[in-house]
Amino acid sequence: MEHSGSFFGFVLEHLEKFLSFTAFANLTAGHLIMIVIGLIFIYLAIAKEYEPMLLVPIGFGILVGNIAFSPGYQIGVYESGSVLNYLYFGVLQGVYPPLIFLGIGAMTDFSALISNPKLILIGAAAQLGIFGAYAIALALGFSPAESGAIAIIGGADGPTAIFLSSKLAPDLMGAIAISAYSYMALVPVIQPPIMRLLTNKKERLIRMKPPRAVSKTEKIVFPISGLLLTTFLVPSGLPLLGMLFFGNLLKESTVTKRLADTAKGPLIDIVTILIGLTVGASTQATTFLTPKSVGIFILGALSFIIATTGGVLFVKFFNLFLKEGNKINPLIGNSGVSAVPDSARVSQVVGLEYDKTNYLLMHAMGPNVAGVIGSAVAAGILLSFLA
Amino acid sequence: MRYKKLISIAGAVLLVLSASLTGLAQSSADLRINEILVYNDSNYVDDFGKHSPWIEIFNSAYNSVDIGGLYLTDDLSNPTKYPIAKGQSMTRIPKRSYLVFWADNQPTHGILHLNFTLEPGKTIALFDANGRTLIDSLTIPLNIARDVSYGRMDDGSEVWANLSKTTPNSDNNTEPKASSGDMFAQYDPTGIGMAMIAMGVVFSGLAALFFFFKMTSRVLKLDVKKQLSARSVSKARAGKAETADSGKEGLEITGEINAAIAMTLHLYSSELHDAENTVLTINKVSRTYSPWSSKIYGLRKLPK
Repeated sequence: MEHSGSFFGFVLEHLEKFLSFTAFANLTAGHLIMIVIGLIFIYLAIAKEYEPMLLVPIGFGILVGNIAFSPGYQIGVYESGSVLNYLYFGVLQGVYPPLIFLGIGAMTDFSALISNPKLILIGAAAQLGIFGAYAIALALGFSPAESGAIAIIGGADGPTAIFLSSKLAPDLMGAIAISAYSYMALVPVIQPPIMRLLTNKKERLIRMKPPRAVSKTEKIVFPISGLLLTTFLVPSGLPLLGMLFFGNLLKESTVTKRLADTAKGPLIDIVTILIGLTVGASTQATTFLTPKSVGIFILGALSFIIATTGGVLFVKFFNLFLKEGNKINPLIGNSGVSAVPDSARVSQVVGLEYDKTNYLLMHAMGPNVAGVIGSAVAAGILLSFLA
Repeated sequence: MRYKKLISIAGAVLLVLSASLTGLAQSSADLRINEILVYNDSNYVDDFGKHSPWIEIFNSAYNSVDIGGLYLTDDLSNPTKYPIAKGQSMTRIPKRSYLVFWADNQPTHGILHLNFTLEPGKTIALFDANGRTLIDSLTIPLNIARDVSYGRMDDGSEVWANLSKTTPNSDNNTEPKASSGDMFAQYDPTGIGMAMIAMGVVFSGLAALFFFFKMTSRVLKLDVKKQLSARSVSKARAGKAETADSGKEGLEITGEINAAIAMTLHLYSSELHDAENTVLTINKVSRTYSPWSSKIYGLRKLPK
């Protein structure tokens, strides 16, 4: 009993210490802002179905990353040895993006591209967004490596953006990834006004020839020749392109169905969960809410606009050299932005607005998947120039 | 068939050969004698506080390489003069890193102390673990300066010179280096150059794919034409009423026609069924007792 006073003092002291550890004690306005952003992501994903596969893990990751803990207890994503830090390793070292590309390769049908190879060039033209954003980022005072990492948002490819930023500007990776995925989800909002602005009614009504049937041999030859032709030119794109084409060969060879099923099913799902959650968690208010992040978001929007413009204008330019009957509907120009299949879906929806029987989806898938290859090639170039 | 096999085997062999000839080995072959100091009067000291001559080995590979088991010598007729200790952690040279050996003729001082010294005019060499394959060698110049190291101007490069600074365990080129990105910022501050080059590369890569598939589809179309014409000829020979245009007609089958045929077949096969009863009946399913779900079987029996 004689120690009861000191015991209560002891309890009070520890209670006070415990309270200082709680998120309430460590909460800042920044954490609250980020939690609200996370909730908006989750709302958009669930209520509006904007890229739910990405926005739910990222949105929840933002919540996880912005619980204001007391540092030094191996909790946060940036604390060495914490569980989240181990999971984040796959992002930091660029492990997850190639695995996602393996799955993308295993689920992508390149038939539209093979049947009409000239659509490949639209995928190249849409990469203009990347290099336009690079020039603007340089003008805004970002370093060349940072500019390259930010510019890749214009490729509209989340894994590519994460891969490149992990190599060129790891500090900005959270902002770049969030920006890339946000704008990918907003493709249906960003692209249609630009497409309408740059085309006239006659162009929007162009009907394209139905794609021819593609043989199995061509489908098998595609990933092999695609790998050789692109990576001989840009070997630094090998981790992404190698996995993309490998996944596609697993699918098209038809003799490795189990491997293809795993790559496009459980594997890509697991990696998507890990990449989404950890990228979301990397947006700790203390590291994320900076003027640079705001700049990255503005540049991301600009790069998407330039990329869409580049794709649509290129089709119009290309049409000057094509015979009547072979012309391409410029409404598929936007799908060179490699947000698969969202940008192709936008082509289809906008096309149907002007002609209820003009289905552009199949044609738009060509430049769409070419955009995936194009953005991986562009990432390889930026890596080799700026690393 | 035999020729096909032969061609594929020859192709595979050629591919492997060309890869082995042109590829970077990422092995002991990547080790280089990178810098030496012959007269060490007041320079770098060893663990014993002595100024001894030294040889710096550079791992030019992008993975770690174990130099253990290889040989250093100052006598080409005796390639295995100094066997470098195996299984030691310090002999594993990390990527693009260095290891310094003391040429003090004091091998009892440790595994990095050689059993020979450096003298002008002598040739020092690094041999592979088989004691026969020469990895790298250097003939020490006769007019070598005192306390000045002699090394490659850039790590692993072919140009040797007296270095302005002795740099054991570090980069021979001590000039401040601008990163590739900084160079771009200097020469292309607006990013237009980058945009032009990079768009050019992206276009050429995808244009290569475009031309490849344009050509491939032509080749495959040719094959189809041949196959169809061969088929029509054989059918005509068999006495079937085939017109000469049948081959052409076959060629005009598009995806849409295929889809229409498939739809017709589907509709036809659907009609083979009787009309389904569309009345939906909902039966209540009651969970009947089963010994498998009985709790009693999950409990331990009471001891008697």
